[in-house]
Amino acid sequence: MLTFGTTYGQTLQFTGTVQDEGGQALAGASVHIGEEVAPQITNQSGTFSFSGLTSGSYTLRVTHVGYLEYTQAITLERQKTDIAVRLVAQSTMLEDVTVTGKTETQQAREQAIRAVVVDTRAIAEQPTTLAELMNRSPGIRIRQSGGLGNIVDVSINGFQGNSVQYFRDGIPLEYLGGGYGINNVPINLLERAEVYKGVVPVSLGGDALGGAVNLVTRRHVGTMLDISYEAASFNTHIANIAAYHSNASNRWFVGVDGFYNYSDNNYKADVEVINESANPTPATVSLFHNGYRHYFLEAYAGISNRAWADELKISLARYDIDRESQHPALMTNPYGALMVYNQGWVPSLRYKKNIGGKLALDQFVSYSILNRSRVDTVGGTFDWFGNFTPHGGIGESPRRSLSDIDFDNIISRTNAAYDISETHRLEANVVFNHNRRVGEDPYGMRFNGTDIDILSRAAIYAKTIAGITWESKWLDGRLTNQLVGKFFHFRTRGINGFMANATDLDHYTSSANSNWGIGNAMKYTMGDRHLLRASFELTNRLPRENELFGDNDTRAPNFDLEPERSFNANLGYRYQTPTLALEVTGFYRKTSGMILLIPVQPPFAQYQNLDSIRGYGFDIDISYRIGQYLRLNGNATWQDNRMVDVGEGTHKWIEGTRLRNTPYFFSNVGLAGTFPSLIWQDDRLKPYIHWNFIREFYLNHIPRDQEPGGFLGLFGKAGVPVTNVVPNQHLLNAGFTYFLPAQPISVGVEIKNLADAKLYDYYKIQRPGRSFHVKINYHLTKKS
Amino acid sequence: MKKFNQYTLLMLLAGGTLASACSSDDPTPSQLTTDKYVLITLSDRVSGNKAGFISAFDELPTGTVSNSGAGSLEGQGMGGWRTHGNNIYKMFRTSDYATGIEKINVAADGTVTAGQFIASKNPTEADKYFGTGNFVIKDDNLGYYWDAAEPTKIQKFNPSTMSNIGSLDFADAINERGEDGTGINFRAIGQKFLAIKGNKLFANLTYAKNTTSQGQIGFFDDFYPDVYIAVIDLGTETHEKTIAIKNTGSIAYINENHMYDFDTNGDLYIVCQGRSAIGGQSKIVRIKANETDIDPSWELDFAGDFTDAYNGKFVGVFAKGGELILTVNTGPLTGGPNGNINSANIWKFYAVDVASKAFTEITGVPVGTNPGAAMAAVEVDGKILLRGSTVSGENGYYEYDPASHSAELLFNVNVGGAVSGFHKIEVQ
Repeated sequence: MLTFGTTYGQTLQFTGTVQDEGGQALAGASVHIGEEVAPQITNQSGTFSFSGLTSGSYTLRVTHVGYLEYTQAITLERQKTDIAVRLVAQSTMLEDVTVTGKTETQQAREQAIRAVVVDTRAIAEQPTTLAELMNRSPGIRIRQSGGLGNIVDVSINGFQGNSVQYFRDGIPLEYLGGGYGINNVPINLLERAEVYKGVVPVSLGGDALGGAVNLVTRRHVGTMLDISYEAASFNTHIANIAAYHSNASNRWFVGVDGFYNYSDNNYKADVEVINESANPTPATVSLFHNGYRHYFLEAYAGISNRAWADELKISLARYDIDRESQHPALMTNPYGALMVYNQGWVPSLRYKKNIGGKLALDQFVSYSILNRSRVDTVGGTFDWFGNFTPHGGIGESPRRSLSDIDFDNIISRTNAAYDISETHRLEANVVFNHNRRVGEDPYGMRFNGTDIDILSRAAIYAKTIAGITWESKWLDGRLTNQLVGKFFHFRTRGINGFMANATDLDHYTSSANSNWGIGNAMKYTMGDRHLLRASFELTNRLPRENELFGDNDTRAPNFDLEPERSFNANLGYRYQTPTLALEVTGFYRKTSGMILLIPVQPPFAQYQNLDSIRGYGFDIDISYRIGQYLRLNGNATWQDNRMVDVGEGTHKWIEGTRLRNTPYFFSNVGLAGTFPSLIWQDDRLKPYIHWNFIREFYLNHIPRDQEPGGFLGLFGKAGVPVTNVVPNQHLLNAGFTYFLPAQPISVGVEIKNLADAKLYDYYKIQRPGRSFHVKINYHLTKKS
Repeated sequence: MKKFNQYTLLMLLAGGTLASACSSDDPTPSQLTTDKYVLITLSDRVSGNKAGFISAFDELPTGTVSNSGAGSLEGQGMGGWRTHGNNIYKMFRTSDYATGIEKINVAADGTVTAGQFIASKNPTEADKYFGTGNFVIKDDNLGYYWDAAEPTKIQKFNPSTMSNIGSLDFADAINERGEDGTGINFRAIGQKFLAIKGNKLFANLTYAKNTTSQGQIGFFDDFYPDVYIAVIDLGTETHEKTIAIKNTGSIAYINENHMYDFDTNGDLYIVCQGRSAIGGQSKIVRIKANETDIDPSWELDFAGDFTDAYNGKFVGVFAKGGELILTVNTGPLTGGPNGNINSANIWKFYAVDVASKAFTEITGVPVGTNPGAAMAAVEVDGKILLRGSTVSGENGYYEYDPASHSAELLFNVNVGGAVSGFHKIEVQ
């Protein structure tokens, strides 16, 4: 780097702060202003200071592993000059394979067990949800039933529902009771989201079959305050706060993370109203009972850097969700008063200690007190225009309800990692989860022939998932191998309260099941640009408590459920240069005894082990840097998951048909830019546009020989006219973020569904049309 | 040589395409014939939404056929269907399983499409109960149906224009018995049984014990030990009287299968399933051709006339020439998730001589699965066809020979699911 210095005989001071894109202080950044001046390293607050300088022109150069180099011409004239520098993470542009240090996000990308890393930190200023971000990633499809706050389901290589599990910093998310998840947590609170496709690391301690999502929260240093507020169409308001303080010696810390989501979700939807002849006629109405309010607040304090603890953190989280329910499973008829409530208190404790630089211990324990309630007591019905018609009786849905259900949930997760040598490492992980449900519903189910509320008898579910990994490096570190073994066990106890059964109220039914799993993952690097991965896993997905117990309504218990069992194999190749990154991944899976909800005796349904699936697929992900300012991303995913082991009989024709109600092809293209000093010196404008496409898919089984033809079945229509189809869909989002120069403030603007297309993740559940979003971010870091 | 290979390949592809297009058993739209044989199948093993296919064939199918082709209709709600003349109706909408009455259109080229739909006047209210769309058709321009949103009324509709044309309120007739607070939680007329005989409409009266949190209301939850039927004079559209079927329960269902049928002489036979989903006091009764009362001299009692115990039930009836065709369980019925009622090969065909009440096994047709959502016996082109569908793979209609009480396979369906119904229409 050339330095042009002109001296005028004065002594000046030059100070500054180095931050990341999210406004967080970056310690350890290297700051240069010329060959004659010794470089500085930023401290914990990200600050640097040069003194004894002469006035004149300099070239500031700031580097930090994992971030793009920053250069700027500066002129020093005043006695003291202060500057703020924001570094752009390389992961948000392109990884430079020549760097010797990598961000945690990069490291996660390059593990032997492959993770798709959604870098939330890089774009935290955008008015974007985590679900939208994940939808832009290869091989991942997020499906949401409606607007903000509605339940989402992640589909990974065709695995979905309970086959995919969710974690927060490695801990199963169940302990937060729905108060914190991919459908509601603002991206500002996250460092990244790791999506595991195929083998799930032992450290996550889950019984996922082929997919897991780990939400990694931000790590803080020093003192910081991060606030954001988003206002959007449909009376949507999203606020977020993260505050943190640690003392100078980093011996203790306190902090708080929280968010508030509110939306009327009163977007327009195409529905049907009934005319005087009792014929349905199309109408477009604004949804009127689709609102959602949710707050989550977690306060924590801890001590660190002690002889007996690297970190001991105590947290207390509180959340409260009120959700209006506008319609039943499909958007077929309206509700106007039905409410669903969910709240909880969640204290937790985490302890970390590294012993002798060899053994790392990580213990987490929580006791969650959760309460859920469904209230449907109104004596009448509503039409799609919100008009109420009294009918007498209780409830507007087929399930009148005034439930009050308590869940006590204990989760313990113990993780220990031992470095045998520089090339060999053992890691063990045990997760224990105990869940107890008891409650009441004056309008709920009763045990057959009695007036005893089914909910009044406790149902207990406990599972233990243990695993061990041996990680080894070979061939001078070019080959990394992880051998994984897992053990799964669950037991349950409750009353088999299916209505038609002759229920013995004094007889609790117990069941238990144990299983083993094994897997292996390896990574091989070839030079600086090529990376190969291969993995397989034979694993289990344990029945969930609601699948075993049923609910207090139309879902009957089934204590005979067995775990789903799945084998998956994965192969991937990654190529990377400073301008181009390319990754191709393929998978094979075979899943047996999938747990599905099956109608048994009207109106009851029950979870049973039924379908088996065999499939393969691939996804391709490309990122290309165009010139200095633009980056083009694209990915496409194709999956061919099909029914197998249907057996002889009437339904043999289903053998080989595609897994129904599951997208099999989707793709994304995005263009993002970074334009510095556009209006003022040191400001930054980051515009972006994203297009998402989903190929039509079918609700029911379609004979294989009548599926759409063409390359990979991507063209045309099915050979049989299909009524129950989720059609081809295009989603176009565009926006920008603008960073004020030398200020901790940024503004994000986005228009979602720019073309106002009719979008559906599920059959006949329409998603919002075009919407406008503005988000203001404020980040303050205390300088030392 | 290279060119030759390309042409050879093209010819092979063209030949293969033509050959595959000539498969005569596929319901592909091809000829503009007026007679259509319409086949319905239920495709899904697990869906509660009755997913399936409807196809129209130009000729009476034989051999093995697929029920999914270029002219087929795919969707949900492939149940609760009835025919009137050349029209087919069903109780569920193809697009979303909504309850009501949907007309099925069959074009001259054999293309089947979902037509107009009559919905509940208040679908939200109707969703609380099962049975909306239970209907009967009097003539081309008049039919009657039940809408759960107005449970004490019978709705009128025009089957040609598919529009509601009014309603008849029979609250007074319903309230002739049962005081409020007696344990009757739901009252209705025509929820499960609507039949027209002569100029009379017969409609069941529901006095149900269930509430919305106790399962389906009006089904297997009769408050009274007797089943009541309102007799409505269609000339004046007024309640004439109420008749009773003694000591039974659960009249009919929602007419998916034939739960009542008219014999050749006009006698009406009505199935009562009994006290619960797995039977008890199940019986078949008769209203003679020129009568409006239950024939006290004849009934077919499950325990007295078929077995010695109420361990099952009648689930349908087909009447012709003084003979009834029934499907009856071969062993005790069990309900619940693992019960045999809906999942096992236990339902056997019998011919019953009305005069002697003698049961004769019908041979040649397999003991199969519950025909509850299917047409167990239909008459097409003068042939009596019996549905034979088993979990092990038999899946078609069998032609019945009344003389020998035997049946022979007419056609088998290999694609599209379990056979649910078969009917012939003439496209206008």
